[in-house]
Parts: sequence; structure tokens; C-alpha cells
Amino acid sequence: MSAEYSCLVVEDSPMMRQLLVFALSRVKHLRVTEADDGVDGLRKLAAGKFDIILTDINMPIMDGLKLVKRVRSDPTHKDTPIIVITTEGSQEDRQRAMQLGANAYITKPIQAPQVIAKVKELLKIEH
Amino acid sequence: MTEKKSRPPKRAESASSPSFEELRQQRTAFVSSFFKKGAEITDELVKENERLRGAARKLEQENAALRTQLKSDDAIREALKKIEELEREKDSLLSQFSQAEAVTTRFTARYSEIEEELANLANVYVASYQLHSTLRLPAVVQHLRELLAQLVGARAHAVYVADEKRKQLVPVSCDGVEMDRLPRVQLADAAEPPKGGAAILERVFLTGVPHIEEGALADSGFDAPAACLPMRIEDRAVGVIAIFEVLPQKDRFMAVDFELFKMLAAHAATALAGAMLYSHADGKLPGLEVFRDLEAPRSV
Repeated sequence: MSAEYSCLVVEDSPMMRQLLVFALSRVKHLRVTEADDGVDGLRKLAAGKFDIILTDINMPIMDGLKLVKRVRSDPTHKDTPIIVITTEGSQEDRQRAMQLGANAYITKPIQAPQVIAKVKELLKIEH
Repeated sequence: MTEKKSRPPKRAESASSPSFEELRQQRTAFVSSFFKKGAEITDELVKENERLRGAARKLEQENAALRTQLKSDDAIREALKKIEELEREKDSLLSQFSQAEAVTTRFTARYSEIEEELANLANVYVASYQLHSTLRLPAVVQHLRELLAQLVGARAHAVYVADEKRKQLVPVSCDGVEMDRLPRVQLADAAEPPKGGAAILERVFLTGVPHIEEGALADSGFDAPAACLPMRIEDRAVGVIAIFEVLPQKDRFMAVDFELFKMLAAHAATALAGAMLYSHADGKLPGLEVFRDLEAPRSV
């Protein structure tokens, strides 16, 4: 069956990205696209429409906060749910991301069930 | 002697006997009375007949009511019997439902367990995959640091590698603690045995038995590491990984952490040693002559 939803994962760490992709593979009918950093994320966003975005905060070239700001100013994706991934200590980043328009946050170390639940919640998938 | 019975005089006889007219009147009165009496009796008979008919009707009604009641009682008995059967069926269904519910609960719990195990395995797989995905020393060290920080949730940790010439453990990488603060740990034949956290590092290196705090991690620190893992290639000790502090939200190690620790103990050393050799050879791979001494493959 073809994917009903599409998700963009923006994360510079290959390990974290792989973990996120694995967690999201547990969500049925979700197609996942990966991006290495904020700029790569913008590039992927320009090329297609996404139903949800997961982004790390601390990334080279363009960080997650700038990406959230850019996405919210883009008419195509201004309403796309965004989940930011932060560390427990970076409370300010988390608050700033929420102010800029992020919909939710997940703290590291990430737990697959937590990621799945948050994505399903924002995509309004019941099972 | 015969005595003759005297008869009343004729005149007296005629005087006392009713006349024809009187007789006729008497007869008429008698007939009238007779018919009147007959009519009365007939009326009474008719009335009695009606009364008896009424009584018969009443009895018939009562009879019908009794028949109805009898039928109704039968219906009630049937209904009660049916209710009992249905109650038994309901109990049976409830019992089946409870059993099915218990099975569902078990399956749900098992499903959650499997999901958790799967997520844990994914963590271990990803960590192992990343560790072995490169031979560049900085990348391996970076992966190791990320793994400890992002997957285990270590806030302060260090990787020690054994300096076999100087017989000491030397910190080569750390996070959350300054490298200068980390002492070199003298190994077994040092004049004075190490103390505190260093003693734990030394023991783990020498014995190959990991030290993992199984209880609360709040009091862990440099003198009491939360975890210390040996890095070994087969029987040869290469170094240790020390986790001094964990993130505040992590109050104890979970199942996935123990799995990661097992993987680290087995894979970190090979990844690190491989990267060290690769770095030492300036990224050059040896020629194919290294395969020459390999045992010939056995036929299956």
C-alpha cells in the first residue's frame, strides 16, 4: 500500500537519524525523507510537500530554530506540524522553538515509542 | 242387632250441597287458580332457567379464565425455563469474554514488550552499525561519544585506552568533564593501588567484568562512576569506557542500556583498535598477501 503521509527528518547525526527513521518505520503508511542539516531540509521541503517535520536543534550550517522560522514563513508548509528534538538541558532552545511555531518537542535520549506516539498524535493517526 | 245409620234429611242435603252455579264458580276459580299457579310455576321455571343459564355462562367464563390462566402459567414456566437457559448462556459468554479479555490483555502486554525489545534492538543495531561504519579514528570516537550521550544519556563520560608501555589507562576522549581533570590510571603493578573511581576503572580493565550501577544513579560521579565498561578484543584488554554522570531525567539504567553496554564491551574495542591501526597506516590497506596464510576453505 502506498504511503499516505510523508515525514521529513532533519538531523545531522547519522546515528540519531537512523534511529529516528527506524522509529518512524513503525508508523504505517508513513514515508520518511532524511536531511543532513537545516539547509538540506529546506531543499527537501522545496522539492515536495510534507505532512510532518522532525528536526534537531543543534546542527551545523542551519540549526533547527532557523529551520522552524523558515518553515513557518513558507506558505506551503506554514501549517505543517513540527517536532523539535532537544537535549534536557536546552530548555531555552525548546521554549524558543515553541515560540517560533514548533508544535511539540522530544528530549534526548529519544525513545522510539515516544517518537511514534508524538507523530501519530500530530498526524491524528489513531492506531 | 243392626243399627241403621241415619241419613240427614233431604232438605238439609240440598241446603248444604253446592249448587251448579257454585260448582261452576268453584271450577272456574280452580281452573283460574290452576292456570295462575301454572303460569307462576312457568315464570319461576323460566327465571330458574335464566338463572341457571347465567350460572352456566359464569362457569364457562370462569372455566375459560382458568384455561387462560393455565395457559399463562405454562407460558410463564416456559419463559422461566428460557430465562434460566439464557442466564446459563450469558454466564458462558461472560466467561468466554473474560477469557478472551485476559488473552487480549496478555497479547497487548506482550506486544508492548516486543515493541520495546524491538526498539532496544534497533538502538543496539544502530549503535553497532555506526561504530563499524567507518575506520576514521575521529569518526569512530565521535560515534562512541554520540552513542554514550544520545542513546545511553550519559552527561559526563570518558574513553580510556591502555598505554601498554607505561602500564596506565589514558583518557583519549571525554564529554561533560574536562580532559585535564581526568587522571591517568596506573595499572596493577603500580607502587600504590589507585583509589576511588580510578580503582573501579583499574579493576574493570584488569578483570574484564563491567561495573554497572543497578540502583539509583543520583549519587554517581567521578569517584563513583555510574558505569564502567571494559573494551576487549577477545581476551586482550584495550581500554575502558567510564560513565561518570547521566542526564537528570535518567534515574536508573534500563534494559536497553544493559544491552548497549554489552554491545559496547564487545564492539567498541574492535572499532577503536581498527581505527587506530587504520590511522597508524595512514589509511592504507595492506596488500592481498595478508590472506595468503589463511586456512583453505572447508568443503561443505
